[in-house]
Amino acid sequence: MKTQTQTYSLNLGPQHPSTHGVFRIILELDGEFVVKATPVPGYLHRGIEKLAEARTYTQVIPYTDRMDYLAGMLMNWGYVMSVEKLMSLEIPERAEYIRVIVGELSRIASHMMSVGALGADLGALTAFTYTFRDREYVMDLLEMTSGSRMTFNYMRVGGVVKDFPPEFYPALKHFLSELPGMCDEYDGLLTGNEIFIARTKNIGIITPEMGINYSLSGPTIRGSGVNLDLRKTRPYSIYDRFDFQVPLGENGDCYDRFRLRIEEMRQSGKIIQQALEQIEEGPIMAKVPKIIKPPVGDVYTEIESSKGIYGSYLVSDGSTKPYRIHFRRPSFINLGYLGDLCKGWKLADVIAILGSIDIVLGEVDC
Amino acid sequence: MFGKGLVKGLKITWKRMLGKKQTVKYPFTKIEMFPRFHGRFVIDPDKCISCGLCVNACPNKVIQLEKQKVGTKQYLTKYTMKIEYCLFCGLCVEVCPKDAINFSEIIDMNQYRREWVTLKMVDRDAPVETIDDNALIDSSSSHKEG
Repeated sequence: MKTQTQTYSLNLGPQHPSTHGVFRIILELDGEFVVKATPVPGYLHRGIEKLAEARTYTQVIPYTDRMDYLAGMLMNWGYVMSVEKLMSLEIPERAEYIRVIVGELSRIASHMMSVGALGADLGALTAFTYTFRDREYVMDLLEMTSGSRMTFNYMRVGGVVKDFPPEFYPALKHFLSELPGMCDEYDGLLTGNEIFIARTKNIGIITPEMGINYSLSGPTIRGSGVNLDLRKTRPYSIYDRFDFQVPLGENGDCYDRFRLRIEEMRQSGKIIQQALEQIEEGPIMAKVPKIIKPPVGDVYTEIESSKGIYGSYLVSDGSTKPYRIHFRRPSFINLGYLGDLCKGWKLADVIAILGSIDIVLGEVDC
Repeated sequence: MFGKGLVKGLKITWKRMLGKKQTVKYPFTKIEMFPRFHGRFVIDPDKCISCGLCVNACPNKVIQLEKQKVGTKQYLTKYTMKIEYCLFCGLCVEVCPKDAINFSEIIDMNQYRREWVTLKMVDRDAPVETIDDNALIDSSSSHKEG
């Protein structure tokens, strides 16, 4: 007779610090090994897509901030881009550069959070305080530009609300000069740390095939070595004018996904530097009618958000309010693989895997 | 390997420990807000022309505005913001043609009771000499409802 231990179920979340919000995973465990993992999202569902149907095109913008609240600028950008595409609007050069600068700053802020949170999940709370300290600089920069620290509502259909204030430029230059040093600190605290390496290396491996099959995007799939960065492969806005590299991982494990986020921060710094050199004076808003009424039709646009490909599908019936909006939220799609990914790994690895995928629950539940 | 990474990490933390302090003791020391900071709203009732653009711009129907006609002009009698529903998106400030509503640097909006949260920014009667009796009765009854 074959002896076998009995499996038991363990409930992780919905209120657990390592779930990065209100997210629940029901784990079926055999000893310490995961037999089955069932993600249960939906605790932060606010019905943003439905709310948008009762609001004008401009009024939807503050709601997009509330999806990925760690990179609100990018969420703004993805949405306004779809309306602009539907209206066939030409965006002024300066507005495009401003969007790139604030978008990349948002990406840096988001990655700082992600890097620090993974460290904190795995017990390295010191690294978390370091990334939070530096994220504060980015939030200050975005605050002096837009007035808010996280929910910016900075972009508009046709451009941006306000130009950079004069105090922004010296502050940004100071931040850019400090950024490589900050990244070195994270590398010193986490990337080279033996305990951290033991917890993340060769853990939660995503093969390129499975990544593509599950439609993963962003650092999650680039960690597996798949070169999928819309800024490079299908440049939108003015990203074809910048010289930057897309960092790629090799093994597709938690360590690779973590490491390349730090690399991406460095690359984002380079993009901002180039944008600062190229930016010229000019208008920041295209000629847009006061009441935005896109023609009847539908449109889908994608941008590379900090978590992956953020798409926005918009259907217009010619009125002042969108008929239907759907947002392709990268965190949600990336999370789809979590159930299968956790199988066979230990309970402690689940925390590392979840942290390395870098989900934001505002975006997952929308 | 062999603990080199741990030593490197310790070096960084030690260096930071001797470095400049990053935080302030909040209630005693306050940091200065940026000019564009989205703090509590302030309205200049004299500038306001009661056009209602802010009411329409708001995505959450936060703003309630009451007005009375005085002579040929509209007179703002009541301006209430249900701030508990406010997104602080600034669309009302952006749309105002007379620059009457603005953000301030005040961050302290905490209240002990929920009903106190609502910002009653303007609550006044229209100038008496130009109003007939019926309008006065109307305005007093709406006050009680509010």
